[in-house]
Amino acid sequence: MSGAGAAAVVAQVVGVIAGAPLLAGLMRQVRARMEGRAGAGVGQPWRDLRKLLRKEPITAAGTGPAFRLAPLLLVDTTAVVAALVPLASTDTPVSDRADLIVVVAVLALGTVVLALAGLDTGTAFGGMGASREMTVAALVEPTILLSVFALSIPSGSTNLAAIVSGAVDDPARLASPAGLLAAAALAVAVLAETGRLPVDNPSTHLELTMIHEAMTLEYSGPDLALVELGAQMRLTVLLGLLVSLFAPWGIATTASWGALALALVLLAVKVTVLGAVLAAAEVFWAKVRLFRVPELLAGSFLLALLAVAASFFLNGK
Amino acid sequence: MNTVGAALAAAVGFAAVAAAAGMWLPLRARVPVAGACTAALGAAGLAAGVAALGGRTWSADLPDLLPLAGVHLAVDALSGVFMAVAGAVVLAVGVYGIGYAGGHDLSSRGVQAVLPGFALTLILVPAAASVSTFLALWELMALTSLALVVAEHRQRSAVREAGLWYAVMTHMGLVLLLVGLAWFAAGAGGESFPALRAGAAAMSPTARNSVFVLAGLGFASKAGMVPLHAWLPRAHPEAPSHVSALMSAAMVNLGVYGIIRLGLDLLGGGPRWWWWLVLATGAVSAVYGILQAAVATDLKRLLAYSTSENLGLVLVGVGAAGMFNAAGDRPLAALALAAALLHTVNHAAFKALLFCAAGSVLHATGLRDLDKLGGLRARMPVTAGLFAVAALGAVALPPGNGFTSEWLLLQALMHGLAVPGVSTAIVLPVAVAAIALSAGLAAAVFVKALGVGFFARPRSTQAAGAHESPPTMLAGMGLLALACAALALAPGALAPGLVRAGAAAGLSDVRPVSGEGLQLRLTQVSGSLWPLWIAGALAVMMAAVSGLTRGLSRRRRRTQARLWDCGGGAPTPRMAYTATSFAEPLQRVFDDVLAPEQDVDVTPVRESAYLVERVRFHSRVPDRIEHRLYRPVLNGLSNLGIAARRLATGSVHAYLGYGFCTLVTLLVVLAVMQ
Amino acid sequence: MSDSAYTQLLDLACGAFLLAAVVVLWRRDLATAVRVFALQGLALAAVAALLGAHEHRWDLLAVAAGIGVLRAWALPALMRRALAAGGEARESQPLVNVTASLLTAAALTLLAYAVSRPLVALNPTPATRALPVGLAVALIGFFILVTRRRALSQVVGFLLLDNGITAVAFLAASGVPLIVELGVSFDVLLAVLVLRILTTRMRAVFGHTDIDDLRELHD
Repeated sequence: MSGAGAAAVVAQVVGVIAGAPLLAGLMRQVRARMEGRAGAGVGQPWRDLRKLLRKEPITAAGTGPAFRLAPLLLVDTTAVVAALVPLASTDTPVSDRADLIVVVAVLALGTVVLALAGLDTGTAFGGMGASREMTVAALVEPTILLSVFALSIPSGSTNLAAIVSGAVDDPARLASPAGLLAAAALAVAVLAETGRLPVDNPSTHLELTMIHEAMTLEYSGPDLALVELGAQMRLTVLLGLLVSLFAPWGIATTASWGALALALVLLAVKVTVLGAVLAAAEVFWAKVRLFRVPELLAGSFLLALLAVAASFFLNGK
Repeated sequence: MNTVGAALAAAVGFAAVAAAAGMWLPLRARVPVAGACTAALGAAGLAAGVAALGGRTWSADLPDLLPLAGVHLAVDALSGVFMAVAGAVVLAVGVYGIGYAGGHDLSSRGVQAVLPGFALTLILVPAAASVSTFLALWELMALTSLALVVAEHRQRSAVREAGLWYAVMTHMGLVLLLVGLAWFAAGAGGESFPALRAGAAAMSPTARNSVFVLAGLGFASKAGMVPLHAWLPRAHPEAPSHVSALMSAAMVNLGVYGIIRLGLDLLGGGPRWWWWLVLATGAVSAVYGILQAAVATDLKRLLAYSTSENLGLVLVGVGAAGMFNAAGDRPLAALALAAALLHTVNHAAFKALLFCAAGSVLHATGLRDLDKLGGLRARMPVTAGLFAVAALGAVALPPGNGFTSEWLLLQALMHGLAVPGVSTAIVLPVAVAAIALSAGLAAAVFVKALGVGFFARPRSTQAAGAHESPPTMLAGMGLLALACAALALAPGALAPGLVRAGAAAGLSDVRPVSGEGLQLRLTQVSGSLWPLWIAGALAVMMAAVSGLTRGLSRRRRRTQARLWDCGGGAPTPRMAYTATSFAEPLQRVFDDVLAPEQDVDVTPVRESAYLVERVRFHSRVPDRIEHRLYRPVLNGLSNLGIAARRLATGSVHAYLGYGFCTLVTLLVVLAVMQ
Repeated sequence: MSDSAYTQLLDLACGAFLLAAVVVLWRRDLATAVRVFALQGLALAAVAALLGAHEHRWDLLAVAAGIGVLRAWALPALMRRALAAGGEARESQPLVNVTASLLTAAALTLLAYAVSRPLVALNPTPATRALPVGLAVALIGFFILVTRRRALSQVVGFLLLDNGITAVAFLAASGVPLIVELGVSFDVLLAVLVLRILTTRMRAVFGHTDIDDLRELHD
C-alpha cells in the first residue's frame, strides 16, 4: 500500500524536476512555430541546464548568504510542493499533510527568498525586481486564498487530497459556476505567480520591463541553472495543480501500481496540453504595464469572490 | 497557595527588589541587578501563566490594599495566556535591557526603578477580578509606560510630542473604560467579576450594548485599532527599544484580553452585531496598518504599524469567535478563539524580537531610517540572523511561527460558512480577503525591512561603522528566537492550554484543536498541520538538491566577480534600492488610500530666474486617518476652548458664582424630581 | 438624659446655628461677623456634645471639645488678628443688597428642606430631622462667599460652608471617622492661614482687600 504511495511521491518529484525543462522547451517550440520560426527544439532547456551546470560557480562581490541560498531554496520549495500536490495519486503517505494553504505558503516562501536575494545584490536592478515581485505577490494573495476558500466549500476541507478525490467522485461540481469562476481566478493567479504574459515577459532582455528576471541578473553558472530550473518547475507544478484541481480524471485514488502508471501518463499528457494552449495564447498577448497589473489582479479577485458567493448561494444554506 | 499564587507573590517580590535596586544602588550595580530582578519577575510571571494554562486556578481577596474597594485577584486559563506571554517577554527584555541601558539616559534611577513596575502591571492586569482592581492596575500600567516612553526626552524633542499624544490617548481610553465598566457595575449590582457575570443577564439590552461599545472602544484604542491608533506609530519609535518591545508584545495584548473577557465572559456573549463590529475593526486595522507599514521608512514606525496589523488579525479571530458563538456553533467559536490566542502568542514572540533587534541597530548605528541603513549583515551577523528569524515569523510563511496561527485562523473562517446567515456568508469571504491582503503586504514589508536594512552595502557612515551588540542584548534576543522556533515547530504543545483558555472565556469545553505529537489536528472539522514535517521536508530536500548540484557540476571552487554595472563603472551603495523606492509601486497602487504628499522646491540662482541653483524634493505619506479624523476634532475642540474663554471674565465673583449656581440648580432639580 | 430634653436642647442648638449664619449675612460689620461666627462654633460643639452624651460615646465628646477649640476660639482669634492688622472694619456695598440676601437665605433654607426630605425619611430620629439646618447653613455660607467683596468676609463665608458640612455629617451619621475629621480640620486651618497671607499681600499691593481689583489679571 504505502509502497505505491511512496513511489507516487517520488515519481511526482522526479517527474517535475525532469519534465519541467521539457515543458518549457515544448512551450517555446509551440510559440516559435506559431510565430513562423523553426525553434530550438524541445530539449534546448535541458541542454542549457547542462551547459550552465558545467560552468564555474561565481558569486557576486558584496553579496551574502541570502544570495547563495536562494537558488537552492527556490528548487527546494518547488520540489516540496511537487511532493505534496496530488498530481498523480491522492493516496500517498503525505496526502493528509497536503493542505492547499500550506502549498500556497511554501510557494510564497520561494518568492520571498528570491526577492531577498535580489535586494542582497545591492544593485538597482535587483531592488527593482524585488520591489515589483513583492508588489505582484502581495496583490495576488487575496485571489489565491479566496480561490482556496471557494474550492474548500464543496469538500469541506482545504486538504488537497480531499478536494481532488471529491472532484473525481463528483465531476458536476467542476462545471458549476463556482468551479468555473474559481478556475478562471486561479488561472490568472498562476500567470502572475509564474511570471508569464501578460504579467511579466519571461524572455525579455530589457531590464526595465523585467520583474522576475531582474532579481536573477547576477546569477551565473550552476546558480543560474538552479534558478532557471526552479522557475520551470514552478510553472510545471502550478500547471499540474490547475490540472489536478479542475481536470482530475485519471488521478489514482487508490495506491495501486497500475493506477499510478496510468495517472503519470495522463498527467504528462494533460500538463503538456495545458502548456501548449498557454504558449499559443501567449503569442496573442502583450505584456501589460506594471501599473495595470493591479487592475488585472483585481479582476481575478472579483472572480474568486464571486466563486465563493456562488458556492454559498447555490449550495444553499 | 498553589503554584500560581506562589509565582505571583514571587513576581511582586522581585518587582519590589528590582525597584529598590533601581532607586538606591550606584550606577555600576544598578543596571545589572535591576535587569536581573526584572528577568526573574518575568520568569515568575511566565511560571504563573503556564500553571494557569495547565488548569490551575487561583484567587485572592485583599480588602485593605485599595481603600474603599479592596483588591480582588483571580487567575484562570484565559488570564494565564496573557500572563505567560507578558512574563516571557519581560524575561527576555529584562536580560536585553541590561546591555541596552548601559551608557544611555536609560541607566538613570527613574527608568530603572519604573521598568519593573511596568512589567509587574503587565503581569497583574490579566489577574484582576474586580472593576476597581482592573482600573487601578490599568492606570498604573499607563502611567509607568508613559514615564518610560518619555525617558529619552532630553535627547530628542520628538519624544515630548510622542509622550503627549500617548498620554492623552491612553487616558481617553481610560475614561471610556471607566464609564463603561462603572455602568456595568451599577447595572449588575456589584463590581467583582463573579457579580458582574451573574448580574449581566438582568441588565437591559441597551445597557449591555452601551457597556460593550464604550469599554470596547477603550480596549480597541489600547490595542492600536483604527481609528484610535494614532499613539502607536508615535510612541513606539520614540520609546527606548526594550520598552517598545514590552509595549508592542505585551501591553497591546491586554486590549484584546479586555474585549474577550468583557464580551465573551462577563457579558456572556452578545448579539451578532457586536462581534461584527469587532471583526470589521480588526480587518480594517489589519489592512490599513500594513499599508502604512509598507510605506514607512522608519524601522520602528514600520514595526509599530505591523503591530496594529497583527492585532487586527487577532481581533478578526475574536470577532469570528463571537459571531459563531452568537449563532450557536460552539466548536467553531472555540476554534476561532484558539486561533486568535495562538496568534497573540506568536506575535508577541516575533514582535519583541523585532523590536529588540531594531534596538540593537539603533544602539550600533544611532539610526532608525531604513533608507540610510544597509550592509548590517556583515557587521552585525547575529543581530541580522535573529531579525531574519523574527521576520520569517512576521511574514506568516512556513517554517515561521506566524504561519501556524494564520492557518488556524483561516481554517476557522473557511469552515464558518457552515454557520447559517447571509451576513456570515458576506462577512467571511471579505475577512479572508483582508487577511490574505495583509499577509501579502506583510511579506513585502518584511522583505523591505530585512533586505533594505540589513543586506547589500551600507548607505551611510553610521551604518558602515556598526558593530555587534553586547552579549546580554544578544542573550535576550536569543531567548526570544528560541521561543519563536519552539512556537514554529511545536505549536501542538500549546493546544491544550488554548482550549482551556477558550473554556475559561465561556465557550465551554469543546476541544476544537488537539496537539497530537506536535501536530495541530482539528477535531470537529477536518484539517491538520504538522509544521515540523514541513520544516523537515524543506531541509531534507535542500540537502538533496544541494548534493545533486554539487555532484553534477564540474568545478567546485567559487570565485568572486564584480556586480553587473552595464559597463559604466562600479555601482555605489547609493544606487541600491532604498525603502522608499521599494515601496513606491505599492504606494502607487494604493494611492487613494495613502494620499502621499509631494513637494518640489526649486531655488533659482539669484542673478537669473532661468538657472536653477537647487531643487528639493520632499515626499511623505501622512497617516490619512489622522488628517481626516483627528485634525477636525482637534480644531473643533480648540475653537470650543476659544469660545469658552468668554466665560472667563476675570471676576472672582463670577467664578464662585458659576459653582454656586450649578450647585443650587442641581439641588433644585433633585428636589423637583423626587 | 431624657429623650424630650435631648430633643429640645438639640433643636435649640441647631436653631442658634442657623440664626448665627443669618446674622453674618445681615450685619455688615466685620468684627460682629467674627464674633457671631465664634458663637456658631460653640453651637456646633454643643450639637456634637449632645449627640455624644445621648449615645454615650466618649469619642464624640472629645471631638466636640476639639471643634469648640478650633472653631470657637482658634479661627476667630486668627481672624481678629487679621482685622486688627488691617484697616477696614466694615464691609463695603455687597454685590447683592442686604434685603435680597435675606430673601435668598430664606429660599435656600426652603430648598435645603426640600432636598433633605428623602434623607430624613431614611431614618427619622431627632438628629436627622435637624439635617436641613446644616445644609441650609452650608448654602448660606456659599452664598456669602460668592457675593461679598472683602476678603475677610469671604473667609467667613468659607468657614460657614465648612461648619454646615460638619453639622450635616454629625447629624446624619453621628460624625465621621476621626481621621477624616482631623484631616478636614487641618485643611480648614490651612485654608484660613493661606487666605490670611493673601489678604496681607493684597493690602500691601492695593492698599485694601477689595477683590474686584483682581480683575486686571485676566487674559
